[in-house]
Parts: sequence; C-alpha cells; structure tokens
Amino acid sequence: MIINTTILGWVTFIYFGSAIFYIFRMVTGREFWGPFASIIAFTGLIAQTVGLILRWFESYKMGIGHAPLSNLYESLIFFSWTIVLLYLIIEWRIKSRNLGAFVIPFAFLSMAYASFSPNVNSRIQPLIPALQSNWLISHVITCFFGYAAFTIACGLGFMYLLKGLGKDEDTRPFFRFLPGREIVDELIYHSIVIGFIFLTLGIITGSVWAYSAWGSYWSWDPKETWSLVTWFIYAAMLHSRFVRGWRGKRMAIMSLIGFASVLFTYFGVNYLPGLHSYF
Amino acid sequence: MKKTLLSFLSSLKLTIALLIIIAVASILGTVIPQQYGGGEAFRHLSPGLVKAFRSLQLFDMYHSVWFIILMGLLSLNLITCSLNRFPTSWKLFKKIPSLDRGKPFEKLSPDRILVIEGKPHEVIGRGENLLKKRYKRVRKKDTANSTVFYGEKGTYSHFGVYVIHLSILIIIAGAIISSLLGFNAYVNIAEGESTNTVYLGRQKGIKKLDFTVRCDKFSIALYKNGMPKEYRSNLSFLKDNNVIFQGPLLVNHPITVNGIRFYQASYGTIPGDQVYLTIKKGNDEEIIRKVRLKDSFYLKEKNAKLTILRIEENLMSMGPAVLINIQSPEGTMRFWAFEHIEKIKDRIPGLFKKVPKFNPGLFKPYYFTLNRIEKKYYTGLQLSRDPGVSTVAIGSFFIIIGFFITFFSSHKRLWVRVDEQEGKSRISVAATSNKDPVGLKREIEHLLRHFSYMRG
Ligand code: HEM
Repeated sequence: MIINTTILGWVTFIYFGSAIFYIFRMVTGREFWGPFASIIAFTGLIAQTVGLILRWFESYKMGIGHAPLSNLYESLIFFSWTIVLLYLIIEWRIKSRNLGAFVIPFAFLSMAYASFSPNVNSRIQPLIPALQSNWLISHVITCFFGYAAFTIACGLGFMYLLKGLGKDEDTRPFFRFLPGREIVDELIYHSIVIGFIFLTLGIITGSVWAYSAWGSYWSWDPKETWSLVTWFIYAAMLHSRFVRGWRGKRMAIMSLIGFASVLFTYFGVNYLPGLHSYF
Repeated sequence: MKKTLLSFLSSLKLTIALLIIIAVASILGTVIPQQYGGGEAFRHLSPGLVKAFRSLQLFDMYHSVWFIILMGLLSLNLITCSLNRFPTSWKLFKKIPSLDRGKPFEKLSPDRILVIEGKPHEVIGRGENLLKKRYKRVRKKDTANSTVFYGEKGTYSHFGVYVIHLSILIIIAGAIISSLLGFNAYVNIAEGESTNTVYLGRQKGIKKLDFTVRCDKFSIALYKNGMPKEYRSNLSFLKDNNVIFQGPLLVNHPITVNGIRFYQASYGTIPGDQVYLTIKKGNDEEIIRKVRLKDSFYLKEKNAKLTILRIEENLMSMGPAVLINIQSPEGTMRFWAFEHIEKIKDRIPGLFKKVPKFNPGLFKPYYFTLNRIEKKYYTGLQLSRDPGVSTVAIGSFFIIIGFFITFFSSHKRLWVRVDEQEGKSRISVAATSNKDPVGLKREIEHLLRHFSYMRG
C-alpha cells in the first residue's frame, strides 16, 4: 500500500548521493566523478517518476483517485522532481555538469523535508471539495515549474558570487569548474525568463481556480499577495536588465532575493493569518 | 518643467520605486489583518495606534485611497513610457537599410562566406527564391560587381513590450471594472426556504434580487475516513412563481442565473421543526417519539393531549428545550422539557421548587425529556457579479503572447552578397539582431547550409 512512499524515501538518498558526487567533482576538480553524479541523478528522476505514478495509481485503488499534487508532501516531491528534470535538461543542453553541485542539493533538501519532517504527512488523502478542480492541477504544475526555474537561477546566483571570490583565471580545483561569468549571467537570465513565464501562468491558473471555487479571481489573501510580490521582484530584475543593462553580480544577488521571496510564498505564508476560511 | 515631469513619469526609476513600494505595502497587508480580521487585531493594539491605522486605511489597505493612487501611478508610468518609446520602435520596424553600403560585410568572419559552383547570374535567381521563402521584405540591389539581398524576420518582436504593457493595463482596467460594477454577496438559506435578499460583502448593506432562490435540499457526502467529499445544494430559482432554473450547486461548479454567479461557500445547521421526546412512565421502558412543532399526540391512559408549542435551541443558556402543553381531564398545564435536565438539576439545587415549569415530571406519572431537536441544514451561498472578468482574461491571454514575442523572438536582419570569385559564386552573409545572438548564429548557419546545397 505504501510502496510509493518507500520508493520516494529511497529517492531522497539517491539525490543525496548525486549531490555528493557533484560536490566532490567540484571540490576535487576531477571530471571523473561527473558521470556518476549525472547517472545517479537520472536514476533518481526515473525512480521518482515511478514513485509518483504509483502513488497516483494507489490513490485510484483506494477509490479516491487524484493526481499526486494535493498536499504539502506531494508538492515537495513534485518540487524536487521539477528541479531535477529542469536541471538535467539544462545539463544536457549546455553539456556541462558545473551547475549540479548548486542545484541538486535543493532537490535533496525538498525530498528530505517531505520524507523526514514530522510536520509533513505522507499519507494519500482524499480531496476535499474545494480542491477537486482541474485548474488546481494546472495551477500546481505551472507554479512548481516556475519555482524550479527560480531555484536553478538561485543556484546559478550562488555560483556567480562564489566565482567572484576567485581570480578570473583561477586554476584551483574548485574554481576551475566554475564557468565564465558571461555564461552564468546568460543562464541566470534564461532561467528567470522561464520561471517568470511559469509564475505568470501559475498566477493566472490560480485565479481561474479561485474564480470557479470562490467567485473572486483575486482576493488578496497572503498566498496570492506574496506570489504577486515575487512577480514584482522578478519583473524589476528583468527591467533593470532590459533597460539599464544590469548584469553579473547584481543579477546574481537579485536571483537570491527573488528565491527568498519564492520560498516565503511557498512556506512562510502558512505562518500568516489566512483569510480564506472556506471548507 | 513639463519635460522633466514627463520623463520622471515614464522612467524606469519610477517603475522600480513603485514596484518596491507596492510590494512592501502588500506584504504589510499580509501581516495586518484585513477587513474581517481587523477586529481581532484591535485587542493587541493601543487605541491611539488603532486610530492611526484606521485613518491610514491599513485595515482595508488594498482598497485604500493611497493604494489605488499607487496603482494609478503605475498605470500612468506604463502608459507614458509606452507612448514615449513607441515612435522609436515604429522606426525600427519600418526602416529598411540601404543596400549599397558595404558596411555589413566589413570584418565578416570567414565562416560566413561560402563559395559554390556556378556563375553568380546562375545562382541569383534561386538565391532570391530561397530568401523569399524564409524572409520578409526581401530586397535586391545590383551593384557594379555584386548583387546584394536584404531580408528580415521577426520584425514584430519590437512590439512584444507593448503587448505586455498593454495587457497589464487591460488587466488593471478589468480589475477596476470588477470593483466598480461588480458585487459580492452572501446569503444563508435553510432547506425548504427561499429568499431574494442577500447581504453585500465589502459594500455592506443588502441587495434585493429580481428572482428568488430556494434551497430544496443540502447534503454532504463523506469519504470513508470522514473527510468531506461533496457539498451539494439543490437549488431552484424562481421568478413570479415560475422556476427559471433548477440544479445542484457544488463547490467548484458555480451556477449562473441572470448574470449572477452562485457559489457553494459554506453550510450549517439550525433547529428544524421536529423534535424527539423521551417519555418515561413510572418504571416502564423509555420510549422515544417524534413530534412536529404544533402537532399533538395522545397519552391514552390519562386521556391527555400533548402538544409541542415552542422549540428553543438554547433556553436561558440551559441548552435545547421544548415547551409542552398537556390538556387532560385534570386541566391544562405547560412546562419545559430540557435536553440536559440532569446537568441543570445538579447545577441549580432545588430548581423544581423555584421553577415548577422546568420539572420534567410535572405530569405524573410521566417524565419528559428532550432527546434531540432534529437539525436542518442551511446552505451558505456566495454570489457575485463580476463584469471585469472577461477583460482580465483577455489581458492575461495577451500577456502570455507578449512574453513569447518579447522573450522568444528577435528582429533578425540579413544581408546576402553574391559576387564572382574565380568563376564560381561567392556568397557572404551578414546579419544583426536586436537580441538573441545565439539564435542569430543558428539562423546564419542554416541559411549558409541551404546555399551550399544550391548549384548553378
Ligand atoms: C508591472 C508593471 C510594469 C511596469 C510598470 C513596467 C514599466 C516599464 C517601463 C517604465 C519601461 C520603459 C523604460 C524606458 O523606456 O526607459 C519598461 C520597459 C520594458 N518592460 Fe516593462 N513594465 C511592467 C511590466 C513588464 C513585464 C511583466 C515585462 C515582461 C517581462 C516587461 C518588459 C519590458 C521590456 C522588455 C521593456 C523594454 C526594454 C527595452 O527594450 O529596452 N514589463 N517597462
């Protein structure tokens, strides 16, 4: 019955292993470890996909079938899934493993929080009426792809700032694997653009859902408000690049600020007084 | 003076400042309880502070004058900026560079030059066709010893920004229409009852609908583990006693009647008009009997008629009770039967002496207690009319289109020069783009590949 949580539990360790290999590769400066890291991450992604699909099936077997995107546990799993998926696509496209050490740890942390925190319930629960909506599914998917892209931008931001600690042509093991500044800057920009589009789609689909469930497409509840704040931060970031030509360090710092806002939208909002007291 | 004001209004500085201010204000709004919650916060704040907060409209910040001014400034900023830049973009869109200058081909890297079999005059015709297929506004110019083509792609990419900014304005306009012309209301309707009066949310006050809503039935379905699975109200909408619409209302499946959308928002119970009485006679077994308000039944042995006169959910803070009237040959008596009489007796010693009317054994040898009042459900409906929705939807749609234009397209200009080199044709390709250098490189490679397949 709980085979999916078992598999997803393993995935936590798999991502941990992958993160270790990526970091080890970075620190030792030897590409030798790279393929292990990638293969492990890929294995983890496959296992996680299987785990998610099994969970979906199991919910149908229980007679309460729904996509595994309905509570904190499932969202954390999906979050890490999107991070690893996007990361591996990028790794494949740019043919470089340098980013892994900065991104895969986030996927691991998300899995670890889901699997080990006592506050996170891993049981498959039925959907209460308000959550029975296809708009909600598209909302969750778009939001989390956005969050994942912002996570990658944040990893890149860290990378850029670390690079700033070394010399331009640093050949020490760690710094050797940090790509050139323009490349990182360009990647940050692309990740932010992808994240921004998905965030916008997430806000739109969320509004459609709110409109069909509560009769108001926007009611300034904390989660909505924080997603708008996040949107503003990234919009400001994109404008300073387009119009002012801001690059490099400033973009890197803003990608960290933006990510902090993403995290607050995701988790922090739960600590604020909510207004929605529907079902 | 005018000029500086305009340039300030259209500046990016103002944009960033406004975005930050609105963001900070919005964050404050998530910390300070808004509207309904405001009352809760008063207890933690000093009266002076509450007064200050009130006058700054901090408890209804998102509808306050200053928040609306900020949003207005943001819109003005967008409008002036767009008007300012548009002529430049239009020029970029319209402009076709003159073809006889050699400038684009200066310092051309060797990998953008291709030599193919065939004399130029044999190649040019096909080359033109190839270009016409792939590019817009293809121009051709013959010079002394070469032919130059010009073609372009993605000219519309200059307008992506305007599409985005205009979409944002459309969304803001939709939000204004929503808040000015729309309304939000709620109403609770008990099963079997109907109403045409609803209570406005933000605007306060009541509103009369020009039709009546009746709740025929409310029901809850549960999952095995007890969590709610479905809330369903069977509603009928009536006008002049004719049913104009009838159907179940479910969460996430609103019903629209006469332009007003109805949502299943909450539910609750109220005492119905049926009760269950526990009757005990002497040492006999207890019996439970269902009685409707104002209905009667007979206690045969004493030839008495029992009637329920009133049902109270909470009588004098002592819980549910019903007023019983008994008419018998001995006369008429009235008393209350409580649900929790044992507890009340313990709490107030000597109660029956003081208030004989509370004694459940007043009509001997019977002893009456209230078993329970049958509850009935009421459904909580949320109503809204929101004429701004379609406008907001249009804006949302176009903002995504605008993103694709802005982020994934670029204005590429290509110059292709064909001249003769040792009896063959030399083809040089030069290009520029307003963004996306990687895509431009791919475009050039693609074009060169097509030329290399071509023979005279
Ligand atoms: C939140 C509302 C927004 C406001 C108030 C705003 C404001 C502005 C302003 C004032 C400028 C022009 C500055 C100048 O001409 O010097 C500008 C340019 C621009 N904005 Fe926005 N903008 C907003 C949203 C967006 C969004 C969501 C995007 C898409 C990501 C966007 C993309 C752009 C682009 C691409 C430019 C032009 C850059 C260039 O070609 O130089 N804007 N914006």
